[in-house]
Amino acid sequence: MTVAAGIGYALLALGPSLSLFATVISQKPFLILTLLSSTLLWLISLIALSAIWRPFLPLKTASLWPYALLILTSVALQEALRLLLWRLYMRLEEILDAFADRVSKPRLFITDKMQIALAGGMGHGVAHAIFFCVSLLTPAFGPATYYVEKCSQIPFFFVSAIIALAFVTIHTFSMVIAFSGYREGNKVDQYFVPIVHLAAGMLTLINLASGGCIVGIPLLYVLAALTLGHCGKMVWKRLAESRRRQGDLY
Amino acid sequence: MDQNPRPKTIIETLGEEIIRIITPVSICMLLVVILVSVLNTDSSSNATTISSMATMAYAENTSDSIWDKIKGALLNSLVFVAVVTAVTFLLVLLFYLRCTKFLKYYMGFSAFLVLGFMGGEISLLLIQYFSFPIDCITFGIFLFNFTVVGVLAVFMSKMAIFVTQSYLVVIGMLVAYWFTLLPEWTTWMLLIAMSLYDLAAVLLPGGPLRLLVELAMSRDEDIPALVYEARPIVTDDSGLVQRRVWREGNLSENQGHSSNEGNIVDAEQGRILREDSELAAPLIQHRISVRMNSNEDSSENIALEGIGLGSSGAIKLGLGDFIFYSVLVGRAAMYDFMTVYACYLAIIAGLGVTLILLAFYRKALPALPFSIMLGVLFYLLTRLLLEVFVVQCSVNLLMF
Repeated sequence: MTVAAGIGYALLALGPSLSLFATVISQKPFLILTLLSSTLLWLISLIALSAIWRPFLPLKTASLWPYALLILTSVALQEALRLLLWRLYMRLEEILDAFADRVSKPRLFITDKMQIALAGGMGHGVAHAIFFCVSLLTPAFGPATYYVEKCSQIPFFFVSAIIALAFVTIHTFSMVIAFSGYREGNKVDQYFVPIVHLAAGMLTLINLASGGCIVGIPLLYVLAALTLGHCGKMVWKRLAESRRRQGDLY
Repeated sequence: MDQNPRPKTIIETLGEEIIRIITPVSICMLLVVILVSVLNTDSSSNATTISSMATMAYAENTSDSIWDKIKGALLNSLVFVAVVTAVTFLLVLLFYLRCTKFLKYYMGFSAFLVLGFMGGEISLLLIQYFSFPIDCITFGIFLFNFTVVGVLAVFMSKMAIFVTQSYLVVIGMLVAYWFTLLPEWTTWMLLIAMSLYDLAAVLLPGGPLRLLVELAMSRDEDIPALVYEARPIVTDDSGLVQRRVWREGNLSENQGHSSNEGNIVDAEQGRILREDSELAAPLIQHRISVRMNSNEDSSENIALEGIGLGSSGAIKLGLGDFIFYSVLVGRAAMYDFMTVYACYLAIIAGLGVTLILLAFYRKALPALPFSIMLGVLFYLLTRLLLEVFVVQCSVNLLMF
């Protein structure tokens, strides 16, 4: 609607990420590099997905199952990407620990490892917010606005910003849960993440129904809060455990 | 939270040099994107036809067929690369004949032209667009002061590093904006041609840039050119990290005392790294390896291309690289913002790969090829594949 509205929508989607970036990630250059690389990998997975689906687009059907298939394949590809990232991260951890030994500095603490996972997750979340919300905001800087028929109460930009915020939260914290689950071998954590991701994707299918976003978006936020809570609980437990084991915070 | 301070781990400082190069590149790209999106919204695509060396062979017209455009763009970029090669060889000759003073003055003069004339033109466009109330005399005084300080920053080495760095970023932004005014096909062909030229000029044994670097190394001199030097990080005995504020030409053996970020007043001397402080070692070297390439536009600017390691151990990136990265992103901005983000990530990835190779090979490397090729690839992929997919998903409010 105006420059102010455009900036407002962008900050709505990316505001918490920006503050997380400024306080945690920008202090350590390595985390910034992790964020950039994970954003790039997410973008590559998105391009691969669009290459697969390009011949079938635009989907003109009104039925549900092509969209469901789209979401299913997308989530499957991205969870496979997460596994790949875990493999890469294990190798990176070995290299970093060897380097730390060589320069006689302490090895990575558990908080460092969690911060790297957080930066990786935030890369995914920021990539989602940028490509699904912020890059479509260009008309919002002009004099008018745009409404979608299925969700006609609020402007399209506002809706996509809110959904992007929920997904940013889910992506950011599920990476922490996933990495910790793979490290400890905890099956609950390992399966929690793909299930929540798939559920969140499927919940957006409700938006296809007219007026569905009124139901879909609050449920999405329930999932985001669930991810946030589970991550917080898990981190607290791990830190308390390691503190008991080593007698210190790290 | 902690009773005792934790020992610092390696992820606190690892990768700092890379970030110190990525930050100014990103700022330059951001400024060019903002300029392009502000100044190009109201003019049609071919309203300003720049006649310059780059469009000498063929002036593009929207009504031409695609094949004609490709041929014309190819011709244009070949002419441009030929001119650049000729001027670079001229530069090598001048450097060989020890006309360093002439080169320095020429560099200052071209900085003056860029900042004064191009900067003035773009400021006028901005003032016009925003209807900013300012009169000629005030504007003239501002512009003159701005230009003179810029020329001094480029000329003298005793200027605060931050001022020099900002002026270099501004010069890069102005030249890059000028390049985005070229027609579309010509711009893309030019980018690809320049990256191939950079590859050849730096790595082939007869390439002009390689000759220049070898000459500079054999004489242990600094090439007079527009180069962005990241502020170097030096570690001393106690493991404290110091950051130099004043740029010094030589290294001396005195030890500066430690200062933290807030204390800018202290000037420190650079110190040659020992073997045990390996933290900053992988990307730091003692010798100069910088390359130069001359980059011609209508005001005949000397810019620098390529990436290398400075005498004080800082990473140096030529201004030509800044310019061409920003041209790519600016051109992407003329289409849509999604391409901007994709190309930005691609360029940063290319730069990261180049820096890693620099750490491995420890000699001058061309910084353009990886980034430009990845950038062009991602631009095409985004424009053809990604955009349809994302728009289709978003408009139906389907996200994952």
